[in-house]
Amino acid sequence: MPSLLVKRCLVATSLLASLAMVAALGMTARAAGEAAKGDRALGEYLSSECVTCHQLSGQFKGIPPIVGWPEASFIEIMKEYQHKRRANPVMQMIAGKLSEEEIASLAVYFGSLKPSH
Amino acid sequence: MSTSRRQFIGGIGAIAAASSLPRPAIAQAKPRLVVVGGGPGGATVAKYVARDSQGAISVTLVEPLKQFVTCFHSNLYLGDFRPYDSITHSYDGLKKYGVNLVHEAAAAINREAKTVRLASGVTLPYDRLVVAPGIDIKFDSVPGYSEAASEIMPHAWKPGPQTQLLKKQLDALSDGDLIVMIAPPNPYRCPPGPYERVSMMAHVLKAKGHTKSKIVILDPKPNFSKQGLFVEGWEKHYPGMVEWQDPKMHGGIKGVDPKTMTVRTDLAEYKAKLVNVIPAQMAGKIARDAGLTNDSGFCPINAENMKSSSDANIYVLGDASIAGDMPKSAFSANSQAKVAALMIRGELTGAKTFPARYTNTCWSLIETDDTVKVGGRYEPKDGKIAAVETFISKTGEPADLRKQTQVENMGWYAGIISDIFA
Repeated sequence: MPSLLVKRCLVATSLLASLAMVAALGMTARAAGEAAKGDRALGEYLSSECVTCHQLSGQFKGIPPIVGWPEASFIEIMKEYQHKRRANPVMQMIAGKLSEEEIASLAVYFGSLKPSH
Repeated sequence: MSTSRRQFIGGIGAIAAASSLPRPAIAQAKPRLVVVGGGPGGATVAKYVARDSQGAISVTLVEPLKQFVTCFHSNLYLGDFRPYDSITHSYDGLKKYGVNLVHEAAAAINREAKTVRLASGVTLPYDRLVVAPGIDIKFDSVPGYSEAASEIMPHAWKPGPQTQLLKKQLDALSDGDLIVMIAPPNPYRCPPGPYERVSMMAHVLKAKGHTKSKIVILDPKPNFSKQGLFVEGWEKHYPGMVEWQDPKMHGGIKGVDPKTMTVRTDLAEYKAKLVNVIPAQMAGKIARDAGLTNDSGFCPINAENMKSSSDANIYVLGDASIAGDMPKSAFSANSQAKVAALMIRGELTGAKTFPARYTNTCWSLIETDDTVKVGGRYEPKDGKIAAVETFISKTGEPADLRKQTQVENMGWYAGIISDIFA
């Protein structure tokens, strides 16, 4: 998760400048071609849609928990649903409407949580 | 529609620019939200506003019942797929977010004074009010039916004792007995619900070896939700047991007589051992009395935020609202509540708000490990909540997919209950 300073910079600067700054600060390198950077606050807002089914506690009662995932895995799986390479139509629909920034933001938010059960 | 940070609406700036400053910021320390009705819409909005405002908004939830029995999955209780206790939930989990629970009936809303009067006479002032009373039954929409008659011919379309009465009657049947269901006209709570209920009744009869029993559905509609999927399932699992009649077949539902347990249509008279009458429906009384409904009996809302079309201080959620293409379901109410919670925080504390987006999915169990689903996502468009994408299970799906859909169904229930009450 980016530091507060980095987050402020991300909001204030252009995307390319932001990515350059992240790299300059020694943050985890982003995959080539990946354009969006996640915002935890946006992810938290968007997550209200997810937690109707996926429990914030991380409990597994038939629908997989999604808290505490590595961001890259989260993004990859969401994109697979987005491109209908994974089958569930609910998730295809949910992922299909999300921008790259929104997916990245959800990844940041859920990645920042730890299972509480 | 996607939302970028650049599209965020600055709540504080928007409020400052608005013609009517929220009075609470001036008049008292904390703005007050009162929520009438503790179902999936009301309880969710109470939790989300209290939790996310972190004490900046006083949230009071007015709900007479101390435990909430879900209408969703009550069919699974009828079908012996889950016990009654498992669809019964306490409100206590909301206390940790600072929600004030008032277990009393709300008697009246004074829109001019911005107060809610409780049955005890206590008056609750509000800055914003959420009205989420669910449905009331239009008993007189079926000739011969009444609230008293529902003790003999249950509707079981409001959860609780009616659900238990229907279960008791179902379990008491003998082989060869006839069940008649009168299905409701549109719009009504849970569009696939009557047909899932028929499936669960058939499951119970089949499990008991009641091969001579029959279920007749008398429907005022020419078609129904997930019709192809249900009909396929009935033919597969319960051959010869379920008979669905549309208006062209029965010619009109003429009435019921609880004393003789008969149901008359234009075509025939049925003498049944169990009659499940699901009448037409309307928004809960308090919404009607407050003048929030139109001629349909339900409440028009602003698709952008779930506000009442007739009162900018009131939001209407769930089954009581006219939510465009969204069905009346727990999932819908929960989704609407999250939109409303954000907008309320934006109005009362200047929190950032975002364009509304809504989702819904409804799962229906037809037989053990055979579950289907329908769903969609929705956005405000041309003044109503419009479907922008929908999906539905397909007929002929493989058994393992249907089984997985049932696992998902149970997982969703656990998830939404946690989301509402925990």
